[in-house]
Amino acid sequence: MTTENVTLGADLHGGGPADEQPRHMSQGTFAMLLFLGSEAMLFASFFTAYFMVRFNVANNVWPPIDPVTGKKYVLPVAVTGVNTLFLVSSSFTLWWGEHRLQKTGDRKSLERGLLVTIFLGLTFLVIQFNEYWHLGFSPRDQAFGSTFYSLTGLHGLHVIVGLTLLTICYVRSRRRHEFTAERATVLWASSLYWHFVDVVWVILFCLVYLL
Amino acid sequence: MATHAPTHAHTDHGPGHHVEPKPLGYWWKRAFVATVVGVVLALGVTWFVRWAWGFHPLWNAGVYWTMIFIFAGIGFIIGIGCFDWWWDYLRGRRVGFEDHSMHGATSWKDYLRPNTDHKVIGIQYTVLTFIAFVIGGLYAEGVRAQLAQPGEQFVNGQTYNGLFSMHATIMIFGFVIPVFSGLANYVLPLMIGAKDMAFPRLNALSFWLLVVAVALLVFAPAFGVFTSGWTAYPPLALQGTTGTTMFEIAIQFAGASTIATALNFMVTIVTMRAPGMTVWRMPLLVWANATTSALVVFGTPFIAGSQIMSLTDRVMGTNFFNAANGGDVLMYQHVFWFYSHPAVYIMMLPGFGIVSEVIATFSRKPIFGYRAIAFSTVAIAILGFGVWAHHMFVSGMASWIRIPMMMTTVLIAVPTGIKIFSWLGTMWGGKIHLKTPMLFAMGFLVTFTIGGLSGIYLGTLTTDIATHSTYFIVAHIHYVFFGGSVMTIFAGTYYWFPKMTGRMYNETLGKWHFWLTFVGMNLTFFPMHWLGTQGMPRRVADYAPRFANVNLFISIASLLMVAGTIVFFYNMIYSWAKGAKAPWNPWRGRTLEWMVSSPPSLFNFDLTPQVVGGPYQYGIPGARHAVVFAGPELGGGELTETDKRLVLIVADQAVASPALIDDIRRRNAEGYWRFTYVVPSTVDDHRAAERRLQTALAVLSESGIDANGTVIDAPPMQVIDKVMREENVHEIILTTFPLGSSAWLDQDLVDRVRKATGIGVTHVTILPSEARATVASESVARVVIIANYGIDDVGLAALIQKRADEQPMSAIVLCPLSLEGPSTTPETDAVRAEASGRTATLIARLQEAGIQTRGEIIDGSVTDAIKVARTAHHANTVLLATRPGDRIEITEDITAAAGQMNLEQVTTNGQTSTPSGASEGR
Ligand code: HEM
Ligand SMILES: [Cu+2]
Repeated sequence: MTTENVTLGADLHGGGPADEQPRHMSQGTFAMLLFLGSEAMLFASFFTAYFMVRFNVANNVWPPIDPVTGKKYVLPVAVTGVNTLFLVSSSFTLWWGEHRLQKTGDRKSLERGLLVTIFLGLTFLVIQFNEYWHLGFSPRDQAFGSTFYSLTGLHGLHVIVGLTLLTICYVRSRRRHEFTAERATVLWASSLYWHFVDVVWVILFCLVYLL
Repeated sequence: MATHAPTHAHTDHGPGHHVEPKPLGYWWKRAFVATVVGVVLALGVTWFVRWAWGFHPLWNAGVYWTMIFIFAGIGFIIGIGCFDWWWDYLRGRRVGFEDHSMHGATSWKDYLRPNTDHKVIGIQYTVLTFIAFVIGGLYAEGVRAQLAQPGEQFVNGQTYNGLFSMHATIMIFGFVIPVFSGLANYVLPLMIGAKDMAFPRLNALSFWLLVVAVALLVFAPAFGVFTSGWTAYPPLALQGTTGTTMFEIAIQFAGASTIATALNFMVTIVTMRAPGMTVWRMPLLVWANATTSALVVFGTPFIAGSQIMSLTDRVMGTNFFNAANGGDVLMYQHVFWFYSHPAVYIMMLPGFGIVSEVIATFSRKPIFGYRAIAFSTVAIAILGFGVWAHHMFVSGMASWIRIPMMMTTVLIAVPTGIKIFSWLGTMWGGKIHLKTPMLFAMGFLVTFTIGGLSGIYLGTLTTDIATHSTYFIVAHIHYVFFGGSVMTIFAGTYYWFPKMTGRMYNETLGKWHFWLTFVGMNLTFFPMHWLGTQGMPRRVADYAPRFANVNLFISIASLLMVAGTIVFFYNMIYSWAKGAKAPWNPWRGRTLEWMVSSPPSLFNFDLTPQVVGGPYQYGIPGARHAVVFAGPELGGGELTETDKRLVLIVADQAVASPALIDDIRRRNAEGYWRFTYVVPSTVDDHRAAERRLQTALAVLSESGIDANGTVIDAPPMQVIDKVMREENVHEIILTTFPLGSSAWLDQDLVDRVRKATGIGVTHVTILPSEARATVASESVARVVIIANYGIDDVGLAALIQKRADEQPMSAIVLCPLSLEGPSTTPETDAVRAEASGRTATLIARLQEAGIQTRGEIIDGSVTDAIKVARTAHHANTVLLATRPGDRIEITEDITAAAGQMNLEQVTTNGQTSTPSGASEGR
């Protein structure tokens, strides 16, 4: 290995690495991506549980037979399908708000986009809660119930966290006029989280409800 | 946090950031209140939900305890202040992104509350985890006490299960995993030239999450001991009580803590390296931590998931592992080991990083196979995710998984071997310094290799079926954990102790610690291989009588490690309080953490350093890793790198002798050296010694030689001993007069120094006449004194000494004698003899005072003498000295002869001796 001569100029004074190495992604966004990797693995552990239970099920009947009624458990595919549409559309409303901010620096549209997204997210939660109420089986009913509730419940928790993040973004934007087209790390990170929650739901819906 | 904050004070960050810090009591009172609120809230919320949902019974202790621990833990963290900033943020308050109100420590109290300084957090982590180490160690001794004899000794089977479960859990989750985060927290930002971690507040949160986790683990036995081993397999774990709940929740807190730290490391490493630090110039510790962080981020959620399932199965009646209701117990093992096999590398890779640093530094050689080590680290991490089922060979899992898992398992030995051989290659032909960190690193090589070899036996299906769940596993675990991880932890702790505390530890005690630990661990764990192959099962409180002797032996041998650990803690605590002050770079390391003070300043680097080469170019002349700059208030410029090998020069009268200086010049040309003069002086007045030193240093620095020096008021042996303790001396040059005229040689000094130091001693003999001769150098003023009568006046000597204090100088004394007629008559001889006597007196006086001096008699006039001064001596200044009343007339001739030289007339006081005659006749 050889040593190199470097010119040590005035540019070294004052600035830290953050300013010297231009980056395309802020530290916060990068951290959020990694964190989502971790979150994905958390879901993966519960999916593992789900599939191992499913592959071991007696007589290959899935959803399994409810030993009390002697009938198969039923999942409300249609209602949940509609609910899925709510959640998916919330990703688009959020995207619209961000897009307006980036293109025109229009913070009002961002706030509107956030509000609609939060509203859609809440709707999803309420419908999901209602579903729990009427399902007719609980987490204690068979390993099926345990895996079903743990997956959907874990996801529900993530929706709540996502909504909190979006609310914070809304508050910051309203009260402190934060976020510009160039600087909005907290917003980008929160929206990444929200999209992730959406994607996980779509996968969950396909695997648990449809498949 | 953005990294452009100036580093010197909190105050220059603009208004609003300098908040008066709150007293410690305030935070802890808040924490206490918030914990209590958490408990109350947990009870209320749980009751409400159960009531609203119509659960029966309303009271279910397991559920309430679960919620209490979760809420109390979170409450504590909020109360202690980890979320204050975020709370302001989410309420839409104005917050300073550059808020440093929680940064840095000025007293021990600052360590007991959230702090955002990575250096403080590093120490918080290390101290907390070593406390956990002691607690875990006590449990281990409990296990050994029980096993000392067959049959029930002290505790029943159930309690025994609790002992080993607590031992392993505390050691793994409370010590080995987090202590690596602690050490890396301290040194990693320094190593990459960053001012802190990427997210200092998240970093603080990580630590306090760990505090909660450790507290839950430590207090768990009070709530019903947790007995299912650290692996917590169902259905055994499902029979646990509240203690098990605490274990499962502690895992969640500890997991969140490590994930947060890992994210922080990753972002810090990727985005905050100093300019010039390409990935191939990163120290290997940084490589190791980047890889470990990836393992943590992607692996840890699996243990979190497995413990959540286990917890809900037990307290809420879910059916994940209940086969009667469609659950699958084996699923637990799959999910658990999918994390926990990578976790063994989470506990080993950072240690590999530490060892790479230590071995390269103490072998004084560039690391062998830098890229091979880096790549093998990554390879281990990737392969590590594909071997988990080697823990389940006999569990009854689908049998087709066995062969592929066996192959991947054995494959991991390849990158591991690459590392071992690279370290051996680094040491091969190196100049090995057996300091304590190096001893631990070398011990690690031995013991970890043994552990890796038993790993191959275990990875091989056929042998594993025989040895699974026997003491062979215990032997393997301890050779890799104790012989692997813990040895590297000790190596790292000793290695960075001077940097972290600013003090040196005691080397002798360090060596005692090493040998007690190394011998103790081998005597303790090696016989376990035999016990295992003979069929002694692990995790059982009793055993067959034929194993009695070996077990007794093991229990006794384990006390050696206890002794070693006591020595270790004594050394650490005592040295931290009273140890010698540590220099910046006691080991002559190359990486950036050694280029800043010990401990580093608040924000590590005043200005961003510039990396210019690889980190391990030991022994390559002129090679450097990085350039570190001083802040403007220190005048800017590069901070000196103390990487050159140090030569200690011990001299008294000969300090500034031309012969010695020539010797040093020659040596300097041969390599990358720096020189430190020490002048032992036992006389009251050090001024003479100081003048000589000043002259010598001026000459050396003019030649571009890196030299410094001090006069020390002590006999030579003591002086050398003192310096050797503070600095890493490579060689000693001992300068004396020849035998017969040297008091030092009479005392046999050279041999004694050789024996006492054990390093190379070069003896340079200098004649007294050479010792005091003048040196030719631009930076030393050449002052010619021209005088005849009055030349031996004390006043003249005093006057010249005063000049010498202002500036390094050599003196040339010229005594002009203008004799008429034939030059060698008896009269002229007499006159000449008298004059040279007078001149010699002055020369002796000046030399005595530490001024390099020579002199001669000039046959001729004052003008002739001035000519000689200019042409032969290149004088800068000429002093014409006369007695009071006499005067030399400055003629045209004289000024012409003087040319550019400074001409001064001085008057002596006319006294040839001081009243006491002190300086006469010595
Ligand atoms: C060449 C590398 C290694 C190989 C091939 C290997 C292989 C194995 C195998 C096959 C087992 C399962 C034995 C059984 O339960 O029947 C095992 C157990 C274990 N290994 Fe390793 N190992 C290696 C390195 C390590 C390292 C570096 C660590 C930690 C620093 C480690 C920690 C453990 C632990 C803790 C267990 C026991 C887990 C338990 O059942 O409690 N191993 N090893
Ligand atoms: Cu393993």
